[in-house]
Amino acid sequence: MAALEFGLDFWNPIVWVIVFLVLIAGAYLLRSRGQKKYKKGTAQTQIFLSGEEPPPVEQRHIKAHNIYWGFLQALKGYYDPTVKAHTGIINDYMIWFTAIVTATAVILFIVG
Amino acid sequence: MSLNSFKRALWLYHINTGSCNGCDIEILAALTPRYDVERFGIVLVGSPRHADVLLVTGPVSRQMAPRLKRVYEQVPDPKVVLQVGSCGMEGGVFYESYNLVGPVDQIIPVDVYVLGCPPRPEAIIEGVVKAWVKLEKAAEQRIAK
Repeated sequence: MAALEFGLDFWNPIVWVIVFLVLIAGAYLLRSRGQKKYKKGTAQTQIFLSGEEPPPVEQRHIKAHNIYWGFLQALKGYYDPTVKAHTGIINDYMIWFTAIVTATAVILFIVG
Repeated sequence: MSLNSFKRALWLYHINTGSCNGCDIEILAALTPRYDVERFGIVLVGSPRHADVLLVTGPVSRQMAPRLKRVYEQVPDPKVVLQVGSCGMEGGVFYESYNLVGPVDQIIPVDVYVLGCPPRPEAIIEGVVKAWVKLEKAAEQRIAK
């Protein structure tokens, strides 16, 4: 058997495939016990959105921005000023660049 | 009546179509330990696509009418509609409102009515039992087909 040993642990692809097949069989069993007599092409096959009309398929995606909502919310104090600083105007970036280079030069001059 | 054709727990989806929440509180009371309808397999579910019974409270406001219709259409067959509260039948305290398009049976077909403002949990449980019997008959008809 092509098993990799890691002391107390091991990795065997055949075991992994067997576990995968068992999971697939379980999922198939659950699915086969589902309601079969629903009417195709009616609202019974539509997704449920608390009674709202489901949007077209091409609009049913979650934007990556939504996934990072909690992260952005937690670091709001950092992101709010930095996002504002990114104006997209090259003059602003040059001012930042000049200011930081000047500050660095002054610090280096003082420290020696 | 023996319940043989419908060999499952009874799952209900509750939709509030503009109720004052009085009926909704009584529905919750039916789930509390004093009545505990879950011991009979009567369970509220989160999606109409899992439900056998659509439990409707409220007089149906203009905004809720298309949503009620859509939710009704999403309940798989055989299905039964249980309407709880007086306002869903004749408007109740909201009967003069400019914003009503109800009663419920003008939007979707209703099978069982439970009157009261709000009805007591015992009345709601009796309504659920009647809905269950209707569902049993519908299931028998499907088997006969």
